[in-house]
Amino acid sequence: MPLPIKDVLDMIADNTRRRGCPVPIPEKDAYGWADGLNIPRGGETVLFTGLLYQLIPYIDSLVKYLEGMEKTSVGALVMKLGKVAGKVIDVTKIAGPPRERVGEQSRIVRNIAMLLMKSGVSFGYLYEDDMYSGVLLHDLGLDDDFKEHANKVYRKLKEKGVKTIITIDPHTTNCMRKVYPEYIDNYDLEVKNYLEVLSEKEIRGKDLKEEVVIHDPCAYARYEGIIEQPRKLLAAAGVKVLEVPDKSRSMTFCCGGPVESLSPSLSKGVAGQRIEQLTSMSKKIVVMCPICYSSFLRVKPDDVEMRDISEYLAKGFLEG
Amino acid sequence: MIRAEDLLSKLIDAMEDPILQEGLRRAVKASVPATNRALQSWPYLTELADYVRKRKETVYSNIDYYIDETLRAIKEKAKANAYFASNKDEALKIIDSIIGNERKTIVKAKSMVTEEIMLREHLTEKGHEIYETDLGELLIQIAKDKPMHVIAPACHLTKERAAELLSSIGVKVTKGMDAEKIVPEVRAFLREKFVKADIGISGANSIASDTGAFFLVFNEGNISLATTLPPVHIALISIDKIMPTITDAFMQAVVQSGYAGLYPPTYIYMIAGPSSTADIEYHRVYGVHGPRELHVILYDGGRKEALKNPVLKEQLFCVKCGRCEFVCPIWNISGNVWGGRVYGGPLGMGWTSITEGIEKAAPLSMYCLLCGACKEACPGKVDMIKIARYLKREYIEKIRK
Repeated sequence: MPLPIKDVLDMIADNTRRRGCPVPIPEKDAYGWADGLNIPRGGETVLFTGLLYQLIPYIDSLVKYLEGMEKTSVGALVMKLGKVAGKVIDVTKIAGPPRERVGEQSRIVRNIAMLLMKSGVSFGYLYEDDMYSGVLLHDLGLDDDFKEHANKVYRKLKEKGVKTIITIDPHTTNCMRKVYPEYIDNYDLEVKNYLEVLSEKEIRGKDLKEEVVIHDPCAYARYEGIIEQPRKLLAAAGVKVLEVPDKSRSMTFCCGGPVESLSPSLSKGVAGQRIEQLTSMSKKIVVMCPICYSSFLRVKPDDVEMRDISEYLAKGFLEG
Repeated sequence: MIRAEDLLSKLIDAMEDPILQEGLRRAVKASVPATNRALQSWPYLTELADYVRKRKETVYSNIDYYIDETLRAIKEKAKANAYFASNKDEALKIIDSIIGNERKTIVKAKSMVTEEIMLREHLTEKGHEIYETDLGELLIQIAKDKPMHVIAPACHLTKERAAELLSSIGVKVTKGMDAEKIVPEVRAFLREKFVKADIGISGANSIASDTGAFFLVFNEGNISLATTLPPVHIALISIDKIMPTITDAFMQAVVQSGYAGLYPPTYIYMIAGPSSTADIEYHRVYGVHGPRELHVILYDGGRKEALKNPVLKEQLFCVKCGRCEFVCPIWNISGNVWGGRVYGGPLGMGWTSITEGIEKAAPLSMYCLLCGACKEACPGKVDMIKIARYLKREYIEKIRK
């Protein structure tokens, strides 16, 4: 049964308005990754995570819940009856994510921060003022809600005296660099992506002697032209990169993630196609986006190993 | 407003249809590398694509002028009959008046614009005997299906299904026949129709405002027969096919075929008037081996209105090569099921808005990934992401009121 679009959208808009995020996330899971790293609070240049990596396990849980709805006739029933019993989507019914997934995502963000430190970049962190960009609102067409949210985020960053942000995922990068200026008057934040920052540094690591197939996220490859940087970094860590013929770099093939909240089934269908293309090259996949990661996680065979790029970089540059 | 949820049910059904999935998979596997090879082998195709976009900008900056010039050229230079139709009803009325009331045999070239006005259905209802002559489109005609791709309409049908459909109209094929066996039977069946046809109907890939000459791209050989053998040829050409000059118009045909992955195409046919001779005493006589009458109808069908909308205007730079469909992940699992009545896939969002209305197109956009593969693949650099975002906003505004 197709999900009732309006209810999904209302829920996402409502959550973002009230809690700052499309799905609720406990504070420790949002900012706890920085514990013990002694990153200075604030500053002109800050690491802006956009909370996307941290949110992903919670978004996963929502998608799982929606998938349940999509697969039963609940949706149909509700649409016939209208909202008799209040909200169709009850966020309190969503199961919490497995702690293991939460830890995995925290580790990725932590690795990225440590890579930046190791390469000599100085930056601060806003801790509880690190915010979600609102990218999902924009992608779903919730423009008014997005505009309101973006202005809130921007005001906060200006209030804290931030001039440059370092972003860590493709969607937040694109949103903050190319989308915000369309919705905010006199927007003047400088946006750098950590792969861009790292690839400008001459860092050397150990030779990992790995071979992986690369999956370019659409927002890096097509929206932001970030194509060579990850390849350069992987090569420096001794990781040989394989490419899917005709479907790599600027012609990469989407993971299906962007429709996950409106149709988990459709999203899985797309992810399944991409996994097939990738695994025809290698059983080891490197991804660079938390949304791609979770899309593939839902469909990938058990013998396929998938890692975020930062894991390879951490192994190559931080260890030993 | 059509509900996006209803569309989603169809998409999920499509995803679970193994025959459709296999057909789409085969089409993508053949076509994507073919286009990439063409663009690598002939780098000028990419340059020409930029050039064509620029020339279309010239036309769109003064569309009324170019329509008038084209109509004038059709009459004065091509010595053909020129018509302008604003909408479906006007186009059908003009075509009816040319064909007349008597039952006629009509052969047709594949043309998306004729799909827009449901010409085949209309003429069938009027009692005419009509045959699509493109094999894929003939299959669509018999199946009463809709084209599953802008240039590969029957890419979702298996050879078994094709044989079954063809035998139902008297083509001498049996189930289990391979394509190699089916094709000669189709040739034999249609050959007779070409010869006895009273009317040939086509669209065009481009038309030149300086001469009224128009170009047709094809591979089967059907279009030259359908537009040459019958005594009367009617061409229905949408105004987005207008190019300033005959060379520009040729370039557009070249770009379309290159990006479709069929380069060089077997045929690019130019028609610049009815067939004629003056070999006897310098006296001009029309209709030697080709048609004695040529009727060219320029068709608007929502395009002039779309030019006023800065977002939808983009779609009019599309030359309908269909490359965006083959690279689109959602199209890859649903074909033109993800589409309006005529146009599907990424290009289907814009074209459906233009030809059927935004309310028909907006629900489609809700399942667009915004991944941008379409824009990357497009010879006209049509910003289909922008169109999708615009339609999402339109849809949401309606449902969240």
